[in-house]
Amino acid sequence: MSEHVVSLTVDGVEVKVPAGTPVIQAAERAGSVVPHYCYHPGIPSRPAQCRMCLVEIEGQPKLQPSCVMIAQEGMIVHTQSEQALEARRSVIEFLLLNHPLDCPICDAAGQCMLQDYAYETGQLSSRYEEPKLVLGRDRIAEDILYFADRCIICTRCVRFMEDIAGDNSLVVAQRGHKAYIDTFPGQELEHAFRGNIVDVCPVGALVHEDFVFKARAWDMDTAPGICAGCSQGCNIEVNVKENQVVRVKPRYNADVNGYWMCDEGRRHLVMANRGLRLDVPMIRRGDVLEAVTWSEAIEWIAASAPWGAGGVAVVHPGESNETLFALRELIGALGIAGGGYRMSRGEEVELPGFPRLKLRQDRAPNGAGAELFGFSETDAVPVPEAGQTLLVAGDRLLDAGSDYGAQAGFYVYLGTHMTEGASSATVILPLAGAGEADGTYVNFDGLVQRFHQAMQPPGVARPGWMVIDRLLREVEPDRPPMRDVAAAFGSMAAATPELEGLSWRGLGLKGGRTAGRATVTGAR
Amino acid sequence: MTRKIHPAVVSAQPFQVANLRPTDRLFEDEEGRDRLEKAISRYPDKRAALLPMLAYAQERNGWVSPESMQQVAEALDLTPAYVNSVATFYTMYNKHPTGRHMIQVCTCVACHLCGGEEVFEAFLEATGTVPGAMSEDGKYVVMEAECLGACGFATAVQVNDRYFENVTPETVGEVLARLEQDGGE
Ligand code: SF4
Ligand code: SF4
Ligand code: FES
Ligand code: FES
Repeated sequence: MSEHVVSLTVDGVEVKVPAGTPVIQAAERAGSVVPHYCYHPGIPSRPAQCRMCLVEIEGQPKLQPSCVMIAQEGMIVHTQSEQALEARRSVIEFLLLNHPLDCPICDAAGQCMLQDYAYETGQLSSRYEEPKLVLGRDRIAEDILYFADRCIICTRCVRFMEDIAGDNSLVVAQRGHKAYIDTFPGQELEHAFRGNIVDVCPVGALVHEDFVFKARAWDMDTAPGICAGCSQGCNIEVNVKENQVVRVKPRYNADVNGYWMCDEGRRHLVMANRGLRLDVPMIRRGDVLEAVTWSEAIEWIAASAPWGAGGVAVVHPGESNETLFALRELIGALGIAGGGYRMSRGEEVELPGFPRLKLRQDRAPNGAGAELFGFSETDAVPVPEAGQTLLVAGDRLLDAGSDYGAQAGFYVYLGTHMTEGASSATVILPLAGAGEADGTYVNFDGLVQRFHQAMQPPGVARPGWMVIDRLLREVEPDRPPMRDVAAAFGSMAAATPELEGLSWRGLGLKGGRTAGRATVTGAR
Repeated sequence: MTRKIHPAVVSAQPFQVANLRPTDRLFEDEEGRDRLEKAISRYPDKRAALLPMLAYAQERNGWVSPESMQQVAEALDLTPAYVNSVATFYTMYNKHPTGRHMIQVCTCVACHLCGGEEVFEAFLEATGTVPGAMSEDGKYVVMEAECLGACGFATAVQVNDRYFENVTPETVGEVLARLEQDGGE
C-alpha cells in the first residue's frame, strides 16, 4: 500500500483515505456522519472548540475530536459508542442551557444543526432551572441580523471572515456564557462576500434581513441554478416560495465557487425579475401594440417579416447558450450579418482565501457564450437605417428613448421587461427571465454549466430558444424540432465544434469544459 | 509627568490606577511612544504587544475606552474589532469610566465570611451607586472583586492601587473620608 493512503475502520466499515485526512472526513466516507459545529469543510482553521464531534478511538483513553484527529493506519473508530453518544448529549445539554428554544419563529428551523442533533440525542426536557441569560440581537451588517441568544459560538462566521475573506473585523466579544459575535461598536461588516457568514452559521443566529420571517424551510421549493451576476458562474440553490425567489444560497462546486458566493450575486436573482414584466406576445396594429396568442404572433411574423433582407441585431450576454444559438439561426434567417451585445462591467472583487472565486468584471453570466455564437461586443445599441430590420433580444435598452427603432422597417423585440426603447417595436415577444427557464451558460473559464427552472415565468412568457424554434419551424417546416432543453442543447452542440462531446445529461450539475476553451474566453 | 520604564516591566505597571495621566491621544506624547516602542520590542510579533498596550491605556485613563481601543489597534496594525474582542475577554480591563476612585471590595471566601457583602453594600449606599456604575459626580465606582490576596486582613478593599484592610461597614465612612482628603492618588 502506498504510504500516502491509510486504512482505518469506522463503525465496522473499512475505508482507505489519503494520509492527513481528519477522522471526521474518513467517517463520512465510511457512511457515518459525525455531528459537528465548529468544523466546516470549507474553512481551513479547526479550533476543535465545540466538542460535538467526539468519537471513541480504540486504544486511546479519552474521546477525541474527530475534526482535528488525523486518521492513522489501523485506527478503529466508533462514532456511535455509548461513551461518544453520552458526550454528545452533554454538549447539546450545555448548548441549550441559555438557548431561547424559539424554533417556531426562527428562520433556520428545519435546516438547523442544533435542532437536528438535539432531536437526535432525544433529550425531551432540560434539567436547568435557572433563569436563562438574554443577550438580545444586533445588526452585524447592513443586511445581516444577529440573534445572539441562538448563537452557539462555533466561530465559523468569525473564521470565514478571517480565513477566507481576509477581514478580521468580526470577532467574539466577552467570554464564557456571555460571549457573542460582534464588530467594533458602531461599525458594520462591509465585505462583498460577507453573506457567506449566514450560510456557514449552523443555527439561526445570523440571518439575512430580507429573509427574516419570509419562509419556512419546508415551504420552499429549491432548484439548482447558476448565478447570473457575473461571468464567474457560481453554482447556486434558488429557494422559491409562491413563485417568488426568497433566498439564493451557494451550491458547492469545487471548481467554480467552493461553498461561497458574493452578495451582489445573492441579490441578483431577487432583483432581476422585478419591474414591468412582458407576459404576452404583442403585435403592432396601427398605433397600438395588441396582445395576441403565441400562434397568432408566430404565424404573423412568419408571414410578414422581411426574411433574408438583412438589418441589425443586438443580443444580451445574460441569455442562455440555447437562446443565443437559436438567435444566431434567427438572425441568419433574417439575413442579418452578425449581431452585437453589450456587457456591463464593474469592479473585480477577490476572495483572498479562495482565489478561484472572484466577483468578475463582466457583470453578466454568458459573455463567453455570446462570443461562442459569433456575437461581438459593442458599446452602443445599433441604429437601423430607415426601413431596415431591427432585432433586439434580451437587452433592456435602458439608455434608449421611446423613438428608438422608430425608423426600422420591422422591429422585433424579445425580452423580459417592457421598456421605453421597445415602444416602437413591430412585434414584442415575452421571454422567461432569470430563474424561469432551463439552459446553460459558459463561464469566464470556458466551463459549460446547466441551470434549472426555479419558478414559472409570468403569463405566457417562454424561454427564448423555444420561441425562436417555434418561429423558425413555421418558416422552414422541415427543421428538426427542439422539443425540450436537452434537444435544444443537442442541436446546438451538433452545430458548434467547441461543444463537441457535450450533452445536456452529460453536463450534470458539475458542468463540462468547452473544447479549446481559450477560443471562447473573451470574458473577463 | 513622564515615567521612563525598562522594557522588561512594560506590562507590569499598576494598571488599575484611575485618572493618573489622562490623555485623548495615547501615543502622541513621549511617554506613549516610549511605552509602545518598548512593548513592541519585547515580542517577535507586534500583535503580542496588545495586552500591555491595553494595560497602558487603562493606566493612563483608568479605563479602556473605544477611542483607546482604536488607537491601540492603529498602533499595532490590528482591527479595532479584534482589540475589542481581546479587551472584553479580560474582566480586569475596565470598559467603562471608573471615576476618581475605583473601589473594589473583596467578596471572596475569607472576606465573605468576615462580612465582605455588608462592606460592599455599605460602600454602595455611602456613594449612592449601583455595582459597576460611576457616581454622578464622577468620583466613585464600586465593584466586587475576587480574592485580593489579603485574606488575613478581611475584609480587604482595593481603591485604585491602594489597599485598605480590616474594613467593616462601620469604617466605610472613614475610608471615603481618607480618599477625599488624599485626592486621587
Ligand atoms: S453566529 Fe452562527 S456561525 Fe457565528 S459563532 Fe454563532 S452560531 Fe457560529
Ligand atoms: S461572483 Fe459572480 S457568479 Fe459568483 S455569486 Fe457573485 S455575481 Fe454571482
Ligand atoms: S467539530 Fe470537532 S470540535 Fe467542533
Ligand atoms: S478572600 Fe478577600 S482578600 Fe482573599
